[in-house]
Amino acid sequence: MTAPTIALFPEASFGAALNCVGIAQQLQRMGARPVFICHPGFTGVFAEYGFREYHLPDPPSEQSEDAEDYWQGFINTHLPHFDLDPLAQLPAYVAPTWEAIVDTAETAEPGLRAILDRIRPDAILLDNVIMFPAIANAGCPWVRIVSCAETEIPDPAVPPYLSGLAPEDIAACATFDRAYRAATASAHRRYNQLRARNGLTTLPDGQFLEPSPSLNLLLAPSAVRYDRNVPLHEDSFVFLEGCVREETRFDPPPFAVEEGPLIYMSFGSLGAIDTALTRRMLNVFAGMDARFLVNAGGFLEAYDAVPDNVSLASWFPQPSVVAQSALFIHHGGNNSFCEALYHGVPSLVMPYCWDGHDNAQRAEATGTGRRLDRADWDEDDLRYAILGLLNDHPMHARLSGISRQMQDTPGTHVAARAVLSLL
Amino acid sequence: MAEGRRNARQNHIALARQVLDAVLEHGLRAGDHLPEQRFSKVCGVSRTPIRAAFKLLESKEILEWREEEGFFLLVAEPDALAEAARGLEDMDGSLAARILSDRADRRIGDVQSVSGLVRRYNASRHMVLNALKILSRDGVLTQLPGRAWAFQPMFDSPKAIDDSFAMRLTLEPQAITAPGFALDPKRAGLMRGQMDELLRSREGAITAAGFLRVDTDFHGLIAECCRNRFLRGTLLTHHRLRQATQKDTAIPDFRLRQALEEHLDILDSLERGQFDLAADQMTLHLRRSRNRRSEAATRGFAPMMRGPRR
Repeated sequence: MTAPTIALFPEASFGAALNCVGIAQQLQRMGARPVFICHPGFTGVFAEYGFREYHLPDPPSEQSEDAEDYWQGFINTHLPHFDLDPLAQLPAYVAPTWEAIVDTAETAEPGLRAILDRIRPDAILLDNVIMFPAIANAGCPWVRIVSCAETEIPDPAVPPYLSGLAPEDIAACATFDRAYRAATASAHRRYNQLRARNGLTTLPDGQFLEPSPSLNLLLAPSAVRYDRNVPLHEDSFVFLEGCVREETRFDPPPFAVEEGPLIYMSFGSLGAIDTALTRRMLNVFAGMDARFLVNAGGFLEAYDAVPDNVSLASWFPQPSVVAQSALFIHHGGNNSFCEALYHGVPSLVMPYCWDGHDNAQRAEATGTGRRLDRADWDEDDLRYAILGLLNDHPMHARLSGISRQMQDTPGTHVAARAVLSLL
Repeated sequence: MAEGRRNARQNHIALARQVLDAVLEHGLRAGDHLPEQRFSKVCGVSRTPIRAAFKLLESKEILEWREEEGFFLLVAEPDALAEAARGLEDMDGSLAARILSDRADRRIGDVQSVSGLVRRYNASRHMVLNALKILSRDGVLTQLPGRAWAFQPMFDSPKAIDDSFAMRLTLEPQAITAPGFALDPKRAGLMRGQMDELLRSREGAITAAGFLRVDTDFHGLIAECCRNRFLRGTLLTHHRLRQATQKDTAIPDFRLRQALEEHLDILDSLERGQFDLAADQMTLHLRRSRNRRSEAATRGFAPMMRGPRR
């Protein structure tokens, strides 16, 4: 019998991409043949882990020589929006992003259909926020991976997606929900037209991706799950205790002073564009008795006079680094949050957009970390937040228990078993 | 003479670090015997320097010497070995190494004055000048007219590493096809032994530092075997700079092994005298190694890549 081919299609973000690598590594161990469909900008990311890649065609705008100008425009336009609260971000950032996501779905459709015709997968794993008609029409089971936040799957007792609200804040939740539907209405109309053209049913307001009829994998460790009014069907919804991939061993670099706890900071590749924020934080780190590893992404050249207790790099094997850290300062990306929980490390979440708001709220509510506004802080706020988390012994005890539980039931194993059981 | 002693000591320290990497990569346990001959093969040197490195590790209580039996591992915990490796870094922490490390970590700027360095490192003027001379000899630093010193471009950003690959893609295949290329069979054999050893290690055991060392040694060997003096000189200087300033890059285990296999394929072709094939394999190897990660990515927008990438 030939190995079943499983096509994984993560969206063009490192969180989704590397989460899928964890599942693919386990699928491969269990005898399947995982392959990746990806944006050409992710060329090599999966090949380096030994997986075959199929690239979607370059979108026309990228073929021009001004890709850097395009991103400089993105930074100039959206960097100030990252300081807004979730409600104010709806018209400023969320609405244009949904327009861009719908553009992506439209542009990708012919190329994706051609790739799926070529691969003829036995199952498709979609880690994205939007449905691509080619996937629904591929003639094989497809699996939805919910890797942003549990709020992606609505419920009356779960706050709205991207709101950063607590479930008990009912009035604010209703206001946000209305504003979200209004902000996304134009993109949603266009998207439903795309679905109709490709023979799919339309979706209700505000929804761009339906649950899979076969299997839905939710990256939501039990420690941070919501109590739902309407429980999800156990036969098609499987919760994962994180999806941590295996990485190469990381040895921290030598520091001038080898004392103090090791603290890791990463705001993801997108968050790294805010070099002014990082520089401000480095000034505070310089005066603390701790060692800091800071992910500067593609912007290393923006830094000089780096403090002696800080080491910058453009990339870290994150799971290996988090495992050795006493604190993880991050943006609330679900992968980062889950990796912190998996290794029992407290999170200081400074969200700037999207699911970061929801995970920041969840970290506070479940006593697994705390939220700090990314714009509204002074040196003492940051210093005390860090010291408070380092010295919060009840939180450390709670996190140790969560870590043990997550490591006992690795999400990658559960996910791979559930996927193979579909075949 | 003093410089000769210093160099010998630094070689022993570097070798001791290499031994620690090999211990980690091979998953050795406390109490395991470390045969000199095997480590001499792994590290590509004779048994005399291996014995000196073992003695250094014995003084650090990592190994123990048993009469008529040899050296045995006392410590095998990865964290303890990493700590020991850091201890060796400290021993190696001559002023030159500290200055270089601080520049690579962007703690100090491109242009430095002697007096500024005297203040920063609380060292004598003589010590600073000596350190600058060492770095200058290695091609890392040049003296500007006047009293300032300037660092050469370093491997301190993704863009710098990409520029390096672009240059190597042009020159390294050329070095192989240039008239007179002659592989040094003895060194090639030692390299092959080191790479075979790494490939035999368990999954996830190859360290980034261990790979970088073997990688620069392999590409350095190719450069040294080139008979075009200018190609050879340019590439050797470049690989020395890589060795001195390139940070260990976290590369997934699969790609590390694939790259080592590619090195071995290139050696196979060179040993058969198939230089055109070896040059093509070098191009493929460098292209695969050059794969750059997106510099920023978010849903809905095409990932940001700076500069051409093909």
